[in-house]
This record gives sequence, C-alpha cells and structure tokens, in this order.
Amino acid sequence: MNNKEYDVIVIGAGNAGLVAALTLQKKGKKVLLLEKGRVVGGLSSSFIRGRFEFDTSLHPICEFGSKENSGVIYDLFSRLEIVDKLSVEALPEAFAVYSLDHKKKYVMPVGKDAFILKMEEYVPDSTKSMEEFFSLCEEIESALSYIRENKGHFDMEVLLKKYPYFMAIASYSVKKVLKKINMPLKAQEILCSYWSYLGSPVSKLSFVQYASTIYSCITRGPVIFKKGSHAISLLLSEEFIKNGGTLRCLTGVKEILVKDNEVTGVVTDSNEKFLTKHILANLSPNVVYGNLILDNVVPNKAKSLTNSRSFGARGVSVYIGLNKTKEELGLENMTYFIYHSLNSDKEFKRMHGVFSGNLTAILKNSSIDSSCLVLSSLIFGGAFDKLVTKENYFAMKEKFAESLVSSFEEATGVNIRDAIEEIEVATPVTFARYTGHPEGVIYGYMATSYDNLIPRILNEENEIFIKGLHFCGSFASWLSSSSATYINGEQEALKTLEEMENEKV
Amino acid sequence: MKKFKIAIDANQDLLKFKNLGEERRKAIERGSTTHVNASSFTNNLVEMIHPKGIKVEVVQIIEETEDTKSFYLKPVKLESMPPFLPGQYVTLTVTINGKTYKRPYSISNFLKSLEMYRITVKKEKNGMVSTYLFNECEVGETFNLLGPFGHFTYQPLRDGKDVVFLAGGSGITPFMAFLQNQAFLEKIHSLTLLYGAKSEFDLIFKKEIDEICSKNKKIQVIYVLSEQKRSDYAYGFIDEEKILQIGFENKTFFVSGPLKMYFSLNEIFKKLDIPNKFIRHEIFREVPEDLVEQNFQLTIKMKDKTLTIPCNEKETLIQSMEKGRVKTLVHCTVGECGFCRSKLLAGTVKTEDSCVRASDKEAHYIHPCVSYPLSDVIIEIPL
Repeated sequence: MNNKEYDVIVIGAGNAGLVAALTLQKKGKKVLLLEKGRVVGGLSSSFIRGRFEFDTSLHPICEFGSKENSGVIYDLFSRLEIVDKLSVEALPEAFAVYSLDHKKKYVMPVGKDAFILKMEEYVPDSTKSMEEFFSLCEEIESALSYIRENKGHFDMEVLLKKYPYFMAIASYSVKKVLKKINMPLKAQEILCSYWSYLGSPVSKLSFVQYASTIYSCITRGPVIFKKGSHAISLLLSEEFIKNGGTLRCLTGVKEILVKDNEVTGVVTDSNEKFLTKHILANLSPNVVYGNLILDNVVPNKAKSLTNSRSFGARGVSVYIGLNKTKEELGLENMTYFIYHSLNSDKEFKRMHGVFSGNLTAILKNSSIDSSCLVLSSLIFGGAFDKLVTKENYFAMKEKFAESLVSSFEEATGVNIRDAIEEIEVATPVTFARYTGHPEGVIYGYMATSYDNLIPRILNEENEIFIKGLHFCGSFASWLSSSSATYINGEQEALKTLEEMENEKV
Repeated sequence: MKKFKIAIDANQDLLKFKNLGEERRKAIERGSTTHVNASSFTNNLVEMIHPKGIKVEVVQIIEETEDTKSFYLKPVKLESMPPFLPGQYVTLTVTINGKTYKRPYSISNFLKSLEMYRITVKKEKNGMVSTYLFNECEVGETFNLLGPFGHFTYQPLRDGKDVVFLAGGSGITPFMAFLQNQAFLEKIHSLTLLYGAKSEFDLIFKKEIDEICSKNKKIQVIYVLSEQKRSDYAYGFIDEEKILQIGFENKTFFVSGPLKMYFSLNEIFKKLDIPNKFIRHEIFREVPEDLVEQNFQLTIKMKDKTLTIPCNEKETLIQSMEKGRVKTLVHCTVGECGFCRSKLLAGTVKTEDSCVRASDKEAHYIHPCVSYPLSDVIIEIPL
C-alpha cells in the first residue's frame, strides 16, 4: 500500500466521523480522516467571545450515566479508552419545562421512582401508566442493544421471542403508544417535553427513539461534559493520531471516485488523489450524490431515496455570556424547555414560523461570577428563507436574539438582559457555513413514517447503493442527536470492518 | 411477565413491523431520479454573506492627512460587498516583491448599498505594507480581501443606549462606519465621541465628523489634542477628568486606539468600577515592549512536509512565514478567528491566548499570528 492508499477514508470529522475513524484505527486499519473545516468536531465545537467559551451546540448527554449505571455513550467511550479522560457534570434535574400560555412550570427529577412520584403530584392517577411506560422502555433498551450488538443484522425471530413488546410497538409513534397505555394527556405532554431535542412532534416521532432517550435521561440523569464539546472532539482526534491515523484539516473532498459501482478513492479540493475501497461519509447524501459523485454513475435508487426525503429541523442559537452566576440570577435549573403550550403537534406547526418563541436552554456557571446561557429555537420548513436576505441579515440576527431572550425572561420571570456581557447569534446560515449541510440543517432528514429510526435500520443493507460507500452522522440510520451520531459512527465503522473481513475470505 | 397488554392491534402489529422496511422500499421507488440537490437558498446566502475571498479594485485614493490615506475598494466580480456591522474589519492581501502579506483594516465607511468599502491606512515607520500602500498603490490595483471579521460591534441587547466612543489616532477608523450607519444611530439615545490626536493636523476625518454631528443632535464630539493647545479643542489625553465630565453611569464605552491608551483607560474604568459589560475594545496588536531583536529558527510541519525558516523575536510567526515565502492560512491576523491555529511541538513563544479554547491551550495549540518566538520553535499546522 503506498502512501496515497488507505484501508478506509472517512470524510468529515464530526462526532460520527471521529468515532468511526478512531474505531477503525484502533482495529489496526490504515485510516485517513479528511475534514473540510479548520477544526474537528463539526457541531460539537466551541468558540470564544470575551472571557466566555461557548459550546456550539451545548447539549445534555442522556446516554452517558456513570461507571455504576453506564449508558451506551459511557460504554462506547470505554471501548475507545477515553472515558477516564472526560469529566462530566451531572445536571440537577431531568428537565424543567415551561408553558408560556398557561404560565406553568414543571421540574422533573432524575430517577425512575422520583420521576413517577413527581408526575403523580402534577397529574394525579398517572402512576400506573408511567410504570407501564418504564417497563416498555426497559425492553426497548435491551432490544436496541441487541440490534446494535448485531450491527443491524438482527434475527426477526429472536426479536419476536425475546422482545415481543418491542416488536409490537416499534412501528408506532409516541402519541399512539402513550394513548394505548392510557397515560393521562397532561402526563403525556410533560413526559414528552424532550421532543424538540429529537426534532419531531409526538405524532411523528417513533416511540422507540423517544423512549430510549428519555428513559436513559431519567434513569441515568443527563450530563454535560465539563470541558465542553470541543474537548471531546479534540480528544477523539488526538487519540486517532496517537494510534497512527492521518488527519487532514482544511481538506475538502471534491470528488468520490466510483468505478463499476464501487468506490475507488477521493480527490481533494487541492487535487490530491487518495485511493481506497472503503469510504465513510460523515456528510449528507445530498452533498455526496449531488456534488461529489458524477451524476451518471449515481445509481437511480440512490437518487430516488435522497430525493424522496425531507430535511429535519434547522435552528437559531443565541449564545449569551452573563456577568452573574445562575444562583445570583435566581435560576435553579440547567435544562429548560420553553413552549407556548405542551402540545407538541401544535407547537410543531408554530415552529414553521421563525419567531415562535419556543426554545430550549442550557445554563451553566462558567466562573465564580459568570455563566453561559445557550438558547436554541428550532425552525421547520422554509419560513427562514422567505424572511432573510443578504441586506437584512444582521437586523434579523438581532430580532432572533430579542425574541429568544424575551421568551426566556417571560417564562422564568428573571431579567437576564441586564447581565449580558457577550452575545452571539447563529442562524441556519451559520450552520450551513460551518457544516456545509444543505439548508443549514442540524437534524438530518426529518424522522417520520418510512424515514424513522426502525425503517432506516431495517433497510440499511439494501441502501448501500455503491459498494464501499457508507454514511454516518446526523443524516444516517441512528438519527441526529449527538449521542446518536457517536453510536452511529461506531456502528458504521464495525460494518465497514466486517466488509473488509468478508473480502479476505 | 408483564402485567399489561400493549398490542395496539394484535393482528396487525407484527405485520406492520415487517412492512416498515417494505414501505420504505416503495417510497424509494416513488422518488424522483433527477439530479440530487445539494444546496439551497441558505447555502447561497452563505456565499453572499461569508464569501471565501473577495477580489476588489481600488477605485479612489484620498489623502486624509500627511501620513494617512483612504482607499475605496469596489468588488471586481460581485455586484456588491458582503454586509457587515460597523466596527468590523477586513484582511487585505498584498503582494510586494513576490512576498504575500495579510493585514487587517477596519472598514471606515458604511454605504447602505454596500457598493464599496473604504479602508484608511496610516503610514507606519517600519510598516512594509502601509508604506507600500501609501507610496505605491494606485487606482486600478486589485487585491484579495478576507472577511469582514470582528466583534467590536453594537449589540442592542447587551449595550446601553448611551454610547461613548473613545478614539486615539488612527483608531478613529472603525467609528466612521458607526457614524455613517443610520440603523445604529436610530438604536441609541446619545453618542459622545472623544477623539484624541497629537495636533489638529492629525485629526483624520474631522470635516466628515463635524458634518455628521451638525446634522444629528444625538452626537457630540470632543477633540483632544496632546501636543497643541487651542481654545476650541480640549488639551491633553483622554483621561479620568474627561470621562467624569461626560459621565459614565449606564454608558457603554467603545475603545479604539493604541495599547498605551487601553492600559491607561483600563485603570480608569477599574477605578470607576465600570463592569466589563460596558467596555468594548477594538483589537489592536503591537509588538510587546519587552521583546528584543533576536533571531531563531522556525520549523513548520504540515502534511508530510517539514521546512525551516529564520524567525525573529520581534515578529509574529506568521510574519516570519510571510517573509520566508511560506503560504500562510492566516485570516484575521489578530488572534481571534483561530484559522491559523497550530500545535506548538517544541520551543517557547510569547503569545496572546485570550481567544484560544481552554482544551486547545492544554494541548499546546497557539495562534501563530499573535505568537512571538522566544527560542527555536517547531509548530505543526494540522492540514
């Protein structure tokens, strides 16, 4: 193998690309990781304003837990031998949710029993259905772990025998299943506060996906990484290099070479050519099939699948450095969901407009006298494009900031604007600039009906349209949360490894 | 055993599960086989708002003072320049004798049409680029611009409605964009500009400023001359007395000028107990005073190449690379954007790390555009 030839080329050093590259390198493969941007991490990055370092997409990780009660991300980072190098901060609550219209606040604790008890306090007679919900969750967690262990090639019979409840509900939405177990509507609404983190309303969201996230959140407690997302991304890339991997930043790929429907290599923006039989693309199929592969060699099925999908949520984030701590401000919680109402279908519609006032917030102290607050609001559909122009762009950024800050202040009753020392706004334009994703999408493809988690996993093997080309990341099978992209990175790496083993035979 | 029944429709649930894959296959078959779209309106906006580089032509040069000239830059290919906020700057790429230099300049005008940017350059004693621009650049010459960059901007949610601009010498340039920006002037209640220079002949843009002031009652300007006493100007430096005169309660200060001015003002702000949130600084870089002329070797590792060039303690690593004809990736040149972020493998540097991420600091990353070598140095550029 000459120095321009690799076992695997990973395009894009986002969460999935980094995990995939490190996984393969640790298995002794010769891996080249190409990143178009200046730094690794994709959306798991950070930037500095004044004395504040902001996480680009500060996000509680629900699937981490602790050594004693480890979640899938803890296990994954153990396999990658980096878990001891990370320090996490446990969030004091599972979540706090506010309804602006009803002027109500619900704070839900960590721990199954505490959660059920608190729910009973808010919604009398909800305990039975909550218990049923938790036992379904337990089975879902085991079934998903079986699916992951088998890298997607699971046996239907085993699933049916061992996980009958999983099989029974896997094709239904959150709304259908919770209704079926007779959960009181108000309890359903509180339980589903997390919906906007997953990017679709309860009538579209797969129960399996929601349950696995919220179950881990409640039973293990959400954490954030103390040193921030950039620290993990940097750690993953440094481990990759330490294990002998080659990382190239500022190196975009302009063409994926395909011959006889098999990948043969890539050409970079600066016309360097690298050869490989295996590519893991940590970017959208739209960009891969639309820009990187000659149109006449893209299989029709690849085109029709990509063209039949719709994009998930885009978003606006406002990063605020406050010159007071959360205690000084009188804010107790770290994770906030703020909606007009707790009816996700109604709010989903509202969020097709751009100034919905619905948002998620994370607040953490950054020093003895300051804190960082990140407010994020999702936007569905094309309203952003109708409103924003080159000329009004900066004025719109100010409007977004005003809208989100007002909403947060209205919900919490706390004045934060007087404590603002630094402020920055990211829009879909910002996300498009740094990720290259079409429309600046954050949430990959919209997870709905035939494009939900289970159908994506079920069909994965049929959707390798070009031999040796796999996708990982937010546009791939395990959907778009930061945990999902880490998991997916390992899954796709293992599949690629399996392919290589089969080639030897 | 579970105590409850979950089946939504006992006969259908399994079938439904098995059909999930099939439904998806059918949906794929229904999809169009036309060319896949990779970009959209938003991606086009990125090109317009954050272009990767802008080729501009000098269309007019105006001598503002004895040692200051303004250059009007019009885009060669684009219809108009990218939008920007007053206070932002661009990086000008200048090639002199086959060597390429990048230097930051504030945009010193604001045209709603975005037809052209103005930059204003003061001829510095040892300034290779400023001397070239001042003495040799002519109308018609073209340059490549990077940016706009920078966070020395007015944010209505953060900043007060009563604003004070403190300008020293050529530090006046970013404020000219503020003064010409109606959107900014509409947001505020009052604006006081304290503008310090050596003598009345060193006041850049005085006529322009006076004209804007005469038309807008919100704006008050006080010129402060340090080497010339005149009854119609204030005398001395921008000091505590002058700040107390204009008042500081709930006012937001924007400071732009030489480092000496920053240090003295910071003492005053501290004494008056003005919180950080009310003080904004334009980034202004100068060679640290404690450094001496001393030559070292700079070794640069990138891709599979390694090269070694001479460097000097009084020049940033990027400046040494420019002189050594090594192509630099630098964008902002003032340490804030991180585009030149590199790993320090060996040696010591004096560096400005306020814009380096905490975990990058631990892993020995530096921004070479604001790093001065104190020994032989080896850096790696992750390319």
